[in-house]
Amino acid sequence: MIRPWLRSLVLLAMLFTGTAMAQGVTLPEVRQVELDNGAVFLLHEKHDVPLIAAEVTLRGGAVSDPEGRAGLASLFAGLLEKGAGDRDAASFAEAVAAVGGSLSAAAGLEAVTISADFMARDADLMVELLVDMLQRPALAAAEMSKLRERRVNLIRAAKDNDPRRLIPTYGNAFLFLDHPYGTPVNGDEASLAKITAREVRAYYEDYVGADRLIISIVGAFDVDAMAEKLSEAFAAWRAAKAPLPEFDSPAPETGRRVLLIDKPGATQSYFWIGNVGVSRNYEHRAELDIANTLFGGRFTSLLMNELRTKAGLTYGASASLRRPTQAGSVAIISFTKTETTIAAIDLVLALLAKLRDEGFDEELITSGKNYILGLFAPRLETSAQLAAQFATLRAYGLDASYVNDYGAAVAGAGSEAIQSVITSVYPSPDNLVFVVLGDAALIRDDVARYGPITEMAITDPRFRP
Amino acid sequence: MALFAELRRRNVFKVALLFAVASWLFVWLLGDLQERVSLPVWTETFVYFLIVVGFPLALLFAWTYEITPAGLKKADDVDQTQSIVFKTGQKLNAAVAVLLVLGALAVVGERLLPTFEFLVPGVPEGEAPMANTTPAEIRSLTLDNGLKIIVWPDHDIPNVVMYTFVRAGGRNEYPGITGVSHFFEHMMFLGTERRAPGEFDAEMEAAGGANNAYTSSDVTVYEDWFPRSALETIFELEGDRFENLAIVPDVFESERKVVYSERRSSIDNSNFRKLHEQVQATAYVAHPYQFTVIGWPSDIEAWTQDDLVSYYRTYYAPNNRTVIVTGDVTSEEVFRLAEEHFGPAPAQEPPPAIRTVEPEQLGPRHLVVEASAQTPLLHVAFHAAGAAAPETLSMNLLLNILVGGESSRLHQLFVEGEGLAISVGGYQDEGFDPGLAYFYLTLPPDGDPVELERRILDELTRVADEGVTDAELSKARNIVLADFWRELATINGKASALGNYDVFHGNYEKLFRLPVEMKTITAEDLRAVAAKVFRANNMTVGVLRAPAAKGPQ
Repeated sequence: MIRPWLRSLVLLAMLFTGTAMAQGVTLPEVRQVELDNGAVFLLHEKHDVPLIAAEVTLRGGAVSDPEGRAGLASLFAGLLEKGAGDRDAASFAEAVAAVGGSLSAAAGLEAVTISADFMARDADLMVELLVDMLQRPALAAAEMSKLRERRVNLIRAAKDNDPRRLIPTYGNAFLFLDHPYGTPVNGDEASLAKITAREVRAYYEDYVGADRLIISIVGAFDVDAMAEKLSEAFAAWRAAKAPLPEFDSPAPETGRRVLLIDKPGATQSYFWIGNVGVSRNYEHRAELDIANTLFGGRFTSLLMNELRTKAGLTYGASASLRRPTQAGSVAIISFTKTETTIAAIDLVLALLAKLRDEGFDEELITSGKNYILGLFAPRLETSAQLAAQFATLRAYGLDASYVNDYGAAVAGAGSEAIQSVITSVYPSPDNLVFVVLGDAALIRDDVARYGPITEMAITDPRFRP
Repeated sequence: MALFAELRRRNVFKVALLFAVASWLFVWLLGDLQERVSLPVWTETFVYFLIVVGFPLALLFAWTYEITPAGLKKADDVDQTQSIVFKTGQKLNAAVAVLLVLGALAVVGERLLPTFEFLVPGVPEGEAPMANTTPAEIRSLTLDNGLKIIVWPDHDIPNVVMYTFVRAGGRNEYPGITGVSHFFEHMMFLGTERRAPGEFDAEMEAAGGANNAYTSSDVTVYEDWFPRSALETIFELEGDRFENLAIVPDVFESERKVVYSERRSSIDNSNFRKLHEQVQATAYVAHPYQFTVIGWPSDIEAWTQDDLVSYYRTYYAPNNRTVIVTGDVTSEEVFRLAEEHFGPAPAQEPPPAIRTVEPEQLGPRHLVVEASAQTPLLHVAFHAAGAAAPETLSMNLLLNILVGGESSRLHQLFVEGEGLAISVGGYQDEGFDPGLAYFYLTLPPDGDPVELERRILDELTRVADEGVTDAELSKARNIVLADFWRELATINGKASALGNYDVFHGNYEKLFRLPVEMKTITAEDLRAVAAKVFRANNMTVGVLRAPAAKGPQ
């Protein structure tokens, strides 16, 4: 044990030398319960506020949508909120809201998730609702057709508003084409229209079951009692009927191709420029995060500095990494007024070349490390954040070291390793997929310089030609 | 001279001196107390009155009575040889001396030391005690220049959040400078007399911090999130830009383009924002809440350097700001850093008051925006109250019942039941002055805005006539209570909540009374606020739809 005076001396020494301690995060201990049927429960008590949060993960998700049925998993997830057990859609929603709870289900690319956040005193109700959703969902045909129609109209409404939200969907769809990673997670107007109630029920039988269930709960509750309760509720639950889809990792694109999406009257052009990137368990994750932070992951990134701060071409520019089980995408996203479309895209291409050629100096690398480490802890601050983190790790087959060793990995990343990650992950400007959304009549001829153009209208009922 | 000697013998002068010193100390303490707890405005006058009336009475008392070992006696009745007036005089001297020393210490102490807030305990009641009382670790301090700092230490994670609320927003603008508050928010990141443009963000991010800012009709808020190790750096950076901002012409021009890009992206290319801007402009005929926060295009093109300079001096003065710090800090270190980095800037004349009061609306207003749209939009706004008005919490609960989530009345009716809308939402402005209660609905492509408007009015009239059920009221309370806890689950939420309460409700402690206050609101309160606000004559309706077909219909 360090004596108090010695401890204060150490603290004082740290103050004077200004040593920043590596701001790692160590995940708290979690109780893991695994049933014979494969169901996994991850439980952790946290008593700072009287709340309880749950994250349910069902591996599967949009990649398991059948051909031409993009949005099936998402529609299924939406229907989980529309009645379960003895409750119809309206009384289910009422049960949640009556106690101030929040409960939502959504599909991701590789999982269907249910997120719940309740006051601790309502923990029993929360578990009851989750169990009902998973084991006794209503999946009523009338609710299904109503939700399907609404989803189609919400996509149309999204197209009437700020296109920033849609541009990654267009980008990934055009990059991956028929590969499962090209699936628009929430479907498109054409695919949603074809989905039937029978298909939704089949999805439930095929892809939902104890063998791919993870329930992660964090908050103010008793772990022992909860473990017992969940074990009892799920011990006799069935397995999913169909195997999880298997597919190859997508291959990077060579050469260039361009998709131009016409939105007549748009005063800005929105663009997504990318290629195939890396997977979730990419071994140089720390180096890549540092590089991406410096390139387009923070306010003073290279992209923001040049496009926004220096040139005044845009309000925002970023580099985005999508990292699923197999290789996902790496992309640059920005927007600019119609007249400066080419100036902005040319600048992005020049910056991409500069990134690959020059990388970043030591001072910037230290700055990037500090930035990542300094903002690491608040990402795992609440019960809901921790519950989601536990569930995600388990779903991707990763252990706590993925989080616990990350701080040290970032702190220890060397500049040469970072540079080699940059040249291997960020595509050469010769190999790029472009998606440009804007007033085609005004930019069509200029955009042609980037490669062979395919054109579609924003009102087309799909996210790719 | 005999009278003089006798006055002296009877300690009248000493009593006068003691009275004066004690009064001074009392008035000083009172002033200090007034800064910390809210006393009625007449307290000060009353105390002065007591002192003025008390002074001759005390002198008369000293003249008339004398303290003797046997108790208080009339001086005239005391045998002069047995008198102990001398001893009493010594005690009086000592009392004066002690009070003087105390006073001196207090005055010196106030200059040197930060003053700590007395905490007013809340109402200890209900199942979650912390929900009803101000946590004891929260402290606040007002610097001599008027800047107020509130600190909530929380050591769960090694991080800190700083929010700076500037009482300046769209409501402080006028035609010709609309959008200048928001533009100023941008300029605050673009260089000081000590730092070149870009250095502020570069230094903050290199220290592991991130920041953002937002501007509303009422305030401009600067947010910093950073690790504990960056605490000193952040104070230095913030102190610098709030005191030494440089407005460089080239940077100014480049940033004008960035803001234009923001306007194009967020308004011109968003049907929702396009309609919202028009409804806001139509709902008000007089009050500056009519201005779009980002500014009208002509003004974005026309702001001048002078507009910015005078704006900075008036609105960014320390007496017009409130700073909140939450997270891994102690109040002592925060007060010390605040004194050091925010203390030197002098207070300025308070900004001019907003005098205009929106006159009573005299009839319904309708407007149409034509735009390329697959899905029409309907917005319905009513004049309501300001943040601090008692009925605002009732309206908040009522809006939760009407449009708060899937189970809400209007969602169930229009989206799930009648299929008239694909989404329904609503909010109320909670600003300094009376704002709007606002409903926004998206229609399906073939939807009929006229029919939907009629249905909304039906339902709002119904709630004004029939009120809400007990189950609905209980649901709304639970939603607000759960949101309260979700907000307090993070140091960011804590900073935001403390700041909003202190700025808009005048006192952050009111935040912690919310759970109790909610219980006092009845179903009748909700009906009453509905009847007051949801009237056709108090309504502005905006429709956004595709251009009507050419030629006669």
